[in-house]
Amino acid sequence: MPDGVPGLRDLLPDEAEALRAIQEATLAEMGRWGYRGVVTPMLESLDALALGLGDEHRRRLFKLTDRDGGLLAVVGERTIPVARMVATRMRSAALPLRLSYAGPVLINDGGRFARSREMHQTGAELIGASGPVADAEVIAMAVRCLAASGLQRYQVDVGHAEFFQGLLEGLDVSDEIRLGIRAALARRDFVQLAEILDRTPLQSAERELLLRFPALRGGPEILDVASGLVRNQRSARALEQLAAVHQLLGAHGLAGRVSLDLGAIRDFDYYTGIIFEGYGPDLGRPLAQGGRYDRLLARFGRPAHATGFVLHLDLIAEARRRAGDDPGAVRLDAAVAWGQRGLESAVALGAGLRRRALRTVVATEPRSYERSLAWAEEVGAANLLHLVEEDRVRWRLPGGEERRLDVDRAIEEVSAG
Amino acid sequence: MITIAIPTGLLSEGSLELFSRAGVVQISREELGRRLLLERDGVRLVLVRPGDVAAYVDHGAADLGVVGKDSLWESAGQHYELLDLGFGGCSLVLAAPEAAPLDGPDTWPASMRVATKYPMATAAYMSRVGQTVEIVRLQGSVELAPLVGLTDAIADLTATGRTLRENHLRILTEMGYSTARLVANQASLKTRTAQIQDLVLRLRDAVAPSAPIAGRTADGA
Repeated sequence: MPDGVPGLRDLLPDEAEALRAIQEATLAEMGRWGYRGVVTPMLESLDALALGLGDEHRRRLFKLTDRDGGLLAVVGERTIPVARMVATRMRSAALPLRLSYAGPVLINDGGRFARSREMHQTGAELIGASGPVADAEVIAMAVRCLAASGLQRYQVDVGHAEFFQGLLEGLDVSDEIRLGIRAALARRDFVQLAEILDRTPLQSAERELLLRFPALRGGPEILDVASGLVRNQRSARALEQLAAVHQLLGAHGLAGRVSLDLGAIRDFDYYTGIIFEGYGPDLGRPLAQGGRYDRLLARFGRPAHATGFVLHLDLIAEARRRAGDDPGAVRLDAAVAWGQRGLESAVALGAGLRRRALRTVVATEPRSYERSLAWAEEVGAANLLHLVEEDRVRWRLPGGEERRLDVDRAIEEVSAG
Repeated sequence: MITIAIPTGLLSEGSLELFSRAGVVQISREELGRRLLLERDGVRLVLVRPGDVAAYVDHGAADLGVVGKDSLWESAGQHYELLDLGFGGCSLVLAAPEAAPLDGPDTWPASMRVATKYPMATAAYMSRVGQTVEIVRLQGSVELAPLVGLTDAIADLTATGRTLRENHLRILTEMGYSTARLVANQASLKTRTAQIQDLVLRLRDAVAPSAPIAGRTADGA
């Protein structure tokens, strides 16, 4: 028997429904903020994607050859395709643009232990707006999306890519050392970082700041601590912007949900300003990631400020499962069964219930009432409706109570239930 | 509750000794060996295979882990590498039969066949020194490979060099140096910052002052 491809998997109904519910809830939340949906293709030219990706990410794309020999790649994320679309197909659309998207992406790399290579995402991009108001809008929307996806516990950490860049630029060291520091931090290797710093004449304050990098997080008070330590303008400006964004997040009613994280380490070549990540409890990876990327659109010929985020739906679903969110045994509102007679009434009853938005299955073969009870449980239906004869319904309610009534009344009363 | 993954084998003794010295938790090796999973003083210790520590940490099943740098060479993960714990030191060396006419890199064959359990670290080193290499990945008893003509040399970890001498192998060069490292899950650092930071500082202070802060030579990968 042909088997599935490693790292790619089927989602069975419980999982698929949970994932889709999160997708719809987050897209609906984005809609409430005025973000309109777009769909970009599964495949892009490798050259287009390469404009926004570093070597490492480019290597990890699934690639194909087009009829004319050009190289195509399956999208590994959708911010770059959206940027391409805004810079080309939508070049006459007035900025700022608020766009949302949904869909799977593929990464040709299982990582440790062949983790899933296909991931489902929703995301939003605010293109053509700069400054704390836009940054705060996108962060607040990401927080609301995490709430809308049904998570009870989550937190969002906000940092700034320029804080570290400023620190690095301000260091009185050779370019080689600077590259080494950057590479060690990008790998999150603080042992290597300490070793590099040991070879430099850096003052203890700068040294300590770099080595304590992952721990520079907390409330607004850490901005004061940090501004006492930095002596370069770039980092100081980053701290001012963080303060302004934090203030606005308070106005969004989210001050308690958001922490400041000066040690956020992300793709240094891509992000240019405020960055943020959302975490759930007991899940080792971020559920949401986003930030400002002001250089990307220019590479497609339409310079524009931009910020946005992506939600990792598979991880959010996993976080919900771990939090004990059971999809439940009830998968249907009604099961309609029929006996010797009653088939046509059963079909009509099913149609009536569905028009009232009840999830309803009509049996495909006749059953006695007793056998219908077992069937209704098997398919996970809250109500069983059995057609005793044409137009006589025996209704078993969720509590076990039984009633007999005609089809029209059954439609009324079950849907009112 | 902070969960810490500890590797079975050579590094477990050093890990438990360090945790005890740092006042993190007092557990004997025998106790942990019997249980594999043990909770005490607000710390949960799990004993796992050395090569699995990073997986436990990367997936968030453990907040912190003790792992030999040699395991990290072979698969870069998403964790933070926070401290060099100083113990468990050993070298990744390139070694060839005593009789082989190999000495400095000038004498190496244009393309060298090397048997190893550490293909990534070996490839990274060879690429750095500009040596073409054909790597034969083996699971164990790497020392045999050159003796039966499978490869020109081996790349393997050694603390004392004894096994190499017993198999009449001679060290050509040191390719990397490994010690035990403290690694942390990226999300744990964000969601349990204060607890993790407290532990890390206590461990840092307890690492023997004579121990180097970082590895002796450049890392192998």
